[in-house]
Amino acid sequence: MTFRTKLFVVFMLALLSSVALVAVGVTAVTRRAFQESNRTHSEALVAQFEREFERHKQDIVHRVQGVADAEATVRMAIDLSRPKADVSVYVNDARGVAGSHQLDFLDFVGDDGSIISSNESPARFGYKMDWLAQPQDWASRGAFLTKVDTQDGPALGLMSVSVVRVGDKNLYIFGGEHLGKDFLASLVLPSDMRALLYMNLDGSFQPTDLVDESGPVTDGERFAEFIEPERERPTERAFKIAWTPDAASAELFHVLPLLGRQGELLGALLIGSSAREVVRLERRIIWLAAGVATMGLLLGLLLSWWGAARVTRPVRKLAEGAREVSEGNWSARVEVRGPNEIAQLARAFNRMTEQLSEQRERLVQAERVAAWRELARRLAHELKNPLFPLETTVENLQRAKEQSPEQFEEVFRESTGILLSEIESLKKIVARFSDFAKMPQPEIGPVNLNDTVRGIVKLFESQFGAVGRPPITPELHLEEGLPAIQADEALLRRAIENLVLNAMDAMPAGGVLMLRTTHENGDVDLEVSDTGSGLTPEECDRLFTPYYTTKQHGTGLGLAIVQSVVSDHGGRISVESESGVGTSFHLHLPAKPPVRSPSAVAEEVSSNGE
Amino acid sequence: MRPTLFRRLAASSLAVAAVLAAPGPAKPARQPKYGGTLRVEIGAAVTSLDPAVESASAEEAAAKDDIASLLYPRRSSEGTYLGGVGSGPFRVAAWEPGRRVVLAANENFSEGRPFVDWVEIRMGRPARDRLLDVELDHADIAEIPPEEARRASERGVRVSVSLADELVALVFVPGRPIAEDRRAREALSYSIDRSAIVNFILQKQGEPAGGLLPQWSSGAAFLFPTAVSTAEARNLWSEIGGSQAIVLGYDAGDSLEQSIAERIAVDAREAGGSVHVVAVKSGAALASEDARFIRLRMASPNPRDALAQYLSTLGPIVGVSDPAPGTMPQQIYDAERAIVSTYRIVPLVWLPTAYGVGTRVRDWKTPGPGQGWPFADVWLEDAQ
Repeated sequence: MTFRTKLFVVFMLALLSSVALVAVGVTAVTRRAFQESNRTHSEALVAQFEREFERHKQDIVHRVQGVADAEATVRMAIDLSRPKADVSVYVNDARGVAGSHQLDFLDFVGDDGSIISSNESPARFGYKMDWLAQPQDWASRGAFLTKVDTQDGPALGLMSVSVVRVGDKNLYIFGGEHLGKDFLASLVLPSDMRALLYMNLDGSFQPTDLVDESGPVTDGERFAEFIEPERERPTERAFKIAWTPDAASAELFHVLPLLGRQGELLGALLIGSSAREVVRLERRIIWLAAGVATMGLLLGLLLSWWGAARVTRPVRKLAEGAREVSEGNWSARVEVRGPNEIAQLARAFNRMTEQLSEQRERLVQAERVAAWRELARRLAHELKNPLFPLETTVENLQRAKEQSPEQFEEVFRESTGILLSEIESLKKIVARFSDFAKMPQPEIGPVNLNDTVRGIVKLFESQFGAVGRPPITPELHLEEGLPAIQADEALLRRAIENLVLNAMDAMPAGGVLMLRTTHENGDVDLEVSDTGSGLTPEECDRLFTPYYTTKQHGTGLGLAIVQSVVSDHGGRISVESESGVGTSFHLHLPAKPPVRSPSAVAEEVSSNGE
Repeated sequence: MRPTLFRRLAASSLAVAAVLAAPGPAKPARQPKYGGTLRVEIGAAVTSLDPAVESASAEEAAAKDDIASLLYPRRSSEGTYLGGVGSGPFRVAAWEPGRRVVLAANENFSEGRPFVDWVEIRMGRPARDRLLDVELDHADIAEIPPEEARRASERGVRVSVSLADELVALVFVPGRPIAEDRRAREALSYSIDRSAIVNFILQKQGEPAGGLLPQWSSGAAFLFPTAVSTAEARNLWSEIGGSQAIVLGYDAGDSLEQSIAERIAVDAREAGGSVHVVAVKSGAALASEDARFIRLRMASPNPRDALAQYLSTLGPIVGVSDPAPGTMPQQIYDAERAIVSTYRIVPLVWLPTAYGVGTRVRDWKTPGPGQGWPFADVWLEDAQ
């Protein structure tokens, strides 16, 4: 990953984190605000219900009192106060009176608590409501919630009691309104809220006891786990029901217990607020935030990319400069702008490359001098050997001419032979140097390295076991199926022969010469190892330097030629050596040598010419 | 039209009787008048006067029987009308099935021509309308529900109430699981406060029924208890367990049955039982009911004949096969006891038949069990 990419990623991560933090913060604040609003709504509705409930109570008290004050009721009370009064004539009166006073429930109850007439349960005449006849100040009691027996079963009623007293006899008027779906329908609710009424009429929670303004609530059984605790301990509480996995389906309920005369739980009002609107608004905000964040991110992406590019441009130029330097362009320079750290680094880089270039020049100069010195030394050494016999022969000739003219002819014949021989040696020496200077351009063709190796080993076979010298055992580890490579076989053969000769020279006491070929991805590797005395690290470092040799009579050109051949094929050569163990040369040859530009070839030719 | 001697004599004697029966200072006897149309309204809707055609309900059958009594001169002890149709006091002058029948006085009736020229009977009239029509003098004779008799009388309507001759009872449906449990039947019978039904629902018209025959007929009704036995009922209900409810069906068009059914449900609940009340369309086949109401009108004041009549209806239900009890009071009582003790039929109350009588109607005499409408004997005050 490039520095620019890393920088870009860092920018993006920072931007993402910021956006995420803002989004989470906004969402949390929004949600809290909505919850607060929802709670306020619920509380307002509960307050409304309590006001409505109180108003209903007052209204019911007035209506029941209206029944008590009616002339017909007073006449009934007077009639019933008489001894042996016939109550049966009034058995149907409650129905008509309840209708005219808009009461759902109405009972006329005699002094002993016996029901005279009942609107909600006309058939209950004669049965007693003893609690009604108990001494109590009903006038100040107001309306209260109670369970009322009706023909259809028990129901919740908001009831009031009025008493008409004639003489020592009371006529109780027990009337009120049914607390059910009609009552719920009278509550004015916002569109996203609803009111449910739980009527605690059975021994345990029954879904049918939970109604809304249209009747029993759908999925009423889902409320069981929340209603049961209310039944056990009536108190205001809140709970949430998620109707589906969709959060928008959730509904928050506020429970208001409805208690009877003696504090018993008779019912509960459940104010439900749908989370749909809140979730919808939340989602809208989230989508909006997501849109803004996406736009921000896109903008940030572009700015980050641009910023990263701008920040890393000098660094990239530095890297390019460093790469050029590494590729040998010592004159590479980096453009410097501004006073920042990168500019300082660029200046330092430029100074460094300048110094490196100067040092290289000096080094090249020194190496050139050293090479020339080495060449001079080698030439002197090489030329000195034949020069000495030449000098001696010429001196012998002179001496023979002066001292033994009779023998001169013989000496001359012998001397000219020696002179020719030595001159031939000198020519050979000169030819070798000349050959090195004029390495031919490779002529590329398919080469099977295994065949080449086998041919070379066969060529040297006689020398490995030559009489008078310790034997050398060749070991071939040639990989089967070695692919052919594009190479100049003659040059390769010459390079490998040099390596084999080197190895033989390294094993004067005999040993094992191992040649191993392997391949990978079409490229071919050749290892040439000996079991000679090995080389020192210093020797290894200089081994491929032209004219450097560790041998008494070497020219120092063999391995230089090998390196030149390998280099011409786009390969590489390395050496491993351990003192006392042996030396291994590793040649890596590509399947196909790189195409060399004409300019490179020309440059090389010109450099060789120098 | 000239009245016969017999009718004239009868009219004179009735007028004398009316004068004698009238309370307060004696009024001069009035001479019956001939002519006019007697307007009668009934609740039943008779669709055919052919005796061979079976009536859809007991109420229709009773009305058909009453109309037949006006068309035939006599009736046998078995209830069969004798003589040809039209040889009775009236003959059919106009007939609109289910709605209206107009009878014309038979000039040649052997017992004398009726006083009125015409009798127009409007059928299928609702009880409220009948009562209003009598109050407003739009009708001369109208059947009214017994429970309304008292209020009607208080509003000034002349009300004529017969002896209690119609039994209202519960009948358990054979084969229904809870109906087959004698404890449930017995518990329900013990739970019912019959007196409350008579006093409140029937407004003191009728009698609590413990047996099948009324006291005035058999003289043994007092031997069948009618009082509520809440303690015994509670024990039986607790034995049965409260999970099962008795489904009690009532005629959807009969408000009296509905009121009684609701009271029975309340009584059962107070005793620890459970009765579920359902409305059933009149004449509909039994569906899910365990018990339903049955109303049996006595065809004869004779207890043996009445019991035989009941047995012909109830026999298959209660499993009593002998349709002809003996004539001795003990035999009648034993037969009655045998039926009632099965608790498959639970007698509730005895109902009278109540009539509202218009102001211009004279010499009206409330018919007894087995007696037809005495329209031949009444005359109209304003008849020309």
